[in-house]
Amino acid sequence: MTDLKKKEDQTAAEHGKCMLNRREFLMYSGTAAVAVSTVSLSLFPGTAKARVVGYPRKKIGKLSQLKENQLVGFAYPDDKAQNFLVKMDGAKAGGGLGPKRDVVAFSYVCTHQGGPMVGTYKAIGPHRVMGQCPLHLSTYDLTRNGIIVSGQAYQSLPQVMLELDGDDIYAVGVMGLLYGRHDNLQS
Amino acid sequence: MSTKYYLPEDKTPLPPKGAEVLTTCCDYCIVACGYKIYRWPSNAPDGGPKANQNAFGMNFPTGAMQAWVAPTQHNTVMHKGKPHNVVIIPDKDSKVVNVGGDSSIRGGCIAQKVYNPNTPTRDRLMSPLMRINGLLQPVSWDLALDVAAEVGKHVIKDHGVNAYSVKTYSYQYMENTYAIKKFARRHIKTASFTFHDTPSDVTSTPGFRDAGFDNFGQAYSDWRDAETLMIAGTDPYETKTMVFTQFIKPAIDAGQKTIWLNPRETAGLAYAKSRGNAIHFQIYPGTDSLVLGAIARVILENGWEDKDWIDKWVNSMGESSSGFGQGTRNTPWQWRTTWGKFQTDGVYGKKGYKKWVTSQKEYEPEEAARIAGVSAADIRKAAEWMAKPRADGSRPKTSLGIEKGFYWSNNTGNTNAVSALAIICGAGGRPGQMVGRFGGHQRGGTGGGSYPRNKSPEKVAGRRRRSLDTDRWLVSGHTRFAHVIGTTWIQSMCGSGGLNAKFEELVTNNPNQVRSFDKAKIIATLKARADSGGMVVINQDIYLRDPIGSKYADIIFPAATWGEENFTRANGERRLRLYSKFYDAPGDAKPDWWIIAEVGKKMGFDGFDWKDSNEVCEESARFSRGNRKSYHMIMIAARAEGKTLHEKLRELGTEGIQGPTYYNYETGELSGSVRLHDTTLTEVDLEKKYGSNGFQRANVVNKKVTHFNSQTGKNNIQKHPWSLFSDYWSWMKPKDDELWHTNGRINEVWQSGFDDLLRRAYIAQRWPENWVEIHPDDAAARGIESGDQVVMYSNRIPNHVDTIKAVGGKDFQFSELLKRGHIKLSEGAATAVAIVTPAVKKGVMFSYFLDPRQPSNILQGRVVDNISGNYNYKMGVARIKKVGESKYKSEFRSFSFAPRNIV
Repeated sequence: MTDLKKKEDQTAAEHGKCMLNRREFLMYSGTAAVAVSTVSLSLFPGTAKARVVGYPRKKIGKLSQLKENQLVGFAYPDDKAQNFLVKMDGAKAGGGLGPKRDVVAFSYVCTHQGGPMVGTYKAIGPHRVMGQCPLHLSTYDLTRNGIIVSGQAYQSLPQVMLELDGDDIYAVGVMGLLYGRHDNLQS
Repeated sequence: MSTKYYLPEDKTPLPPKGAEVLTTCCDYCIVACGYKIYRWPSNAPDGGPKANQNAFGMNFPTGAMQAWVAPTQHNTVMHKGKPHNVVIIPDKDSKVVNVGGDSSIRGGCIAQKVYNPNTPTRDRLMSPLMRINGLLQPVSWDLALDVAAEVGKHVIKDHGVNAYSVKTYSYQYMENTYAIKKFARRHIKTASFTFHDTPSDVTSTPGFRDAGFDNFGQAYSDWRDAETLMIAGTDPYETKTMVFTQFIKPAIDAGQKTIWLNPRETAGLAYAKSRGNAIHFQIYPGTDSLVLGAIARVILENGWEDKDWIDKWVNSMGESSSGFGQGTRNTPWQWRTTWGKFQTDGVYGKKGYKKWVTSQKEYEPEEAARIAGVSAADIRKAAEWMAKPRADGSRPKTSLGIEKGFYWSNNTGNTNAVSALAIICGAGGRPGQMVGRFGGHQRGGTGGGSYPRNKSPEKVAGRRRRSLDTDRWLVSGHTRFAHVIGTTWIQSMCGSGGLNAKFEELVTNNPNQVRSFDKAKIIATLKARADSGGMVVINQDIYLRDPIGSKYADIIFPAATWGEENFTRANGERRLRLYSKFYDAPGDAKPDWWIIAEVGKKMGFDGFDWKDSNEVCEESARFSRGNRKSYHMIMIAARAEGKTLHEKLRELGTEGIQGPTYYNYETGELSGSVRLHDTTLTEVDLEKKYGSNGFQRANVVNKKVTHFNSQTGKNNIQKHPWSLFSDYWSWMKPKDDELWHTNGRINEVWQSGFDDLLRRAYIAQRWPENWVEIHPDDAAARGIESGDQVVMYSNRIPNHVDTIKAVGGKDFQFSELLKRGHIKLSEGAATAVAIVTPAVKKGVMFSYFLDPRQPSNILQGRVVDNISGNYNYKMGVARIKKVGESKYKSEFRSFSFAPRNIV
């Protein structure tokens, strides 16, 4: 992980290219903002202001109050979807927020068959994973946008996009379909 | 999703109420989970989130384990020329296999496999291609078929049938394999015929065959119902997912003890260990039989063996001789004449297995543990778990399952050892007490002609001929026409560098290359190629494969596949199902049975006038009689009900029926078989299946149903001499800074590489390149970190050359081959991304075996098993060095270096 830190933003542009489906998350520059919120998305370092159409902007915590490797639960994009926010003790992550880019948020629900992932967070050496899911043992890499490490899910663990505004952390969108939904914004 | 980048989506269409529903099964691994296809026209409205608005009758959002559609489970296809939506999800009504609609990552994403020009599947082969002026150019079916047939006929006439080599998948549906075997084995009768995973048409598990065990006798419930389960050479969580999550995991949770032999630790194994009731023998490659022999020895020394079972079910010397050395001397066991190396007088007595195994130094627990790199205490504990009777005298129910890591390391030795161990534990013929393969591909092979063994020029010592090794035959320059169906041939074999070089020499570097569009000239050119000692290559596949298609094929026939034709196949518990056609094959692609039929007709063969796949299946049915997945009686039932075979199978849906099948002419009832070798079946059970007063009419009931596959119906318990293999093992063993290099499959890409690695965005993002797991100590000594680009290389890859006739009993022993100049050493290298993890044994590297871009099989020794003729693919050594840093080390989009054994 020390190597990762050395290469600050080296491939951020390439990384950003593929992290959002533009058809689903229409991204605008800040000056053209007309609705919802204007956020500086950690997923797009250097792109300054951006926003995600359709998703609410919701304050979910304060950076200064996060404890290393301690999960904070929050509901988003509505009160029926459970997610967690975590500062991963210096483990730099895709979509990570804060000076160490180690603050991320993900859905608590396994995308394989909807298993509850509560209590499965693990910090092992440089690795930060959720899993094994109690139902069918899927594990997800939280430093790599929730990609499957080993397991049976058909997509990554949905990542909640975050914005840092001063010390306040806002949830501003979700990448990937939440288990059980046919549309993240309908429940 | 028109890119291989995975773009997470946040909505997906739901099938509307009234969408058409068809059943199928997953196309990939042996387990074959049941799936449902929901299809509706693209111009019709999608379903809504209310229960009365969608095909599932569910209110969305749904809860855990309920019906749901991930974005990767939807696609758009052409059906009867019009665009349709399809949603393909595991069958939530399933009561077998994937009970309740569970699924793996592979099957879960199977909707991504279907052809859609907006996705990475857009490079499907759509038209016959012919290499003209070095370019593969579209041509008509007529031209391509005419040229293939004319050149094929010429090669057979002038160079003999063995110059026409057929290398084909063994598994891709009954209809296709029947047509292919009818063509190659009934009509051409070439001995140069084999399947995708072996150089010659030989059994994968010689020890099972000789002991009398079927590879797939068990029901999945037997893995669950065992109290102690040995799992050798695989992690079923990774490569038989439902067998693990639906059957083994619940058993582990309920206290089942598991014993694993595997050089690495993956998720299922890690889970079992975390529950406190698992032993992991983290062995060096190729040492399995030592551990098994030592366990057997401890059991026998303590008198823990199942004596009642042994009394009833194990052959004495006289009994095992009764079928051998008699009459035509053509039992498989006898053809591998072994001059007393294996045969025993049962378990006890002067020539018994016990006497033998307790007298061999290498089966002393300490010695076995030393060579294998495991703990002798664990060997003793495993023996207790498997066989020690409880205080009340009752015995633990023990089952044993194996797969490729095991039987492709020391093919004959390991499979003999597991058979012997199973027999003394009383396993093999009772519920929860079975032994078999977990399985690889689904079972889609059916007889269309027998292998012409007497035409094979290869002989092992004694009187017997062995199936022709098609790789050595080709390398010797005898193959003039290579007909390759649905396999890469080159990378999927081992020591593959030499094979590739020979293809290049015989095909590309031959001066006779097609430069004309004139049919007669094309035919003359290709005939001249064959006559000049070169080789003509034709290839049937769904994608252009590199290099067999892209570099070598003269003609390519585009094949139609899963979902594009109605097909039939069985899974690892012999469960037969129909795989429904649900969309139009792309372009001019045709199913393999059709392509073979057209080539066959043009070559002048009769019996290829089928009008659809059901006709092929019905013709093939009678050839399945007596085999483990016999489906003939389904057809008899269908006829009685005025239906076709496919119609009857469609009716059986995802539940299907387990072969062998029976039809009771008195009650009109069709029934299947839960397991083979079922010694608990009674006359009453059997009469229900096939009627009173003995089995009637078309029903076939043979020995394997209630007994074992041997001449007496009892098991042969056989020796497994380490000395047959130890010379190779010792020669291979890492020298200087070499490490063992072994390879295999992984969960995310398992019997699905042709779709996953190159064309499924999510999987391509997870595994964008080949990789190698290396232990932290080995990595540190070489300055390697996770994410480094490395090269694995060796200058001593043993390549077995020459088709030989052995005279002496040891002529196929590795040290003899080496001495006589039949082993040539070659160089090879493959690049990979390093994953440093303690999950792999120190001193051992593990990589994915068949990434077509970095085929690591190039490092594996191309030496066939002394006795069986199979490759021991898992045996290899290599050096490794860092050549740079991969981009995955410093970016977050792809790959993951987190260990797979986190629990």
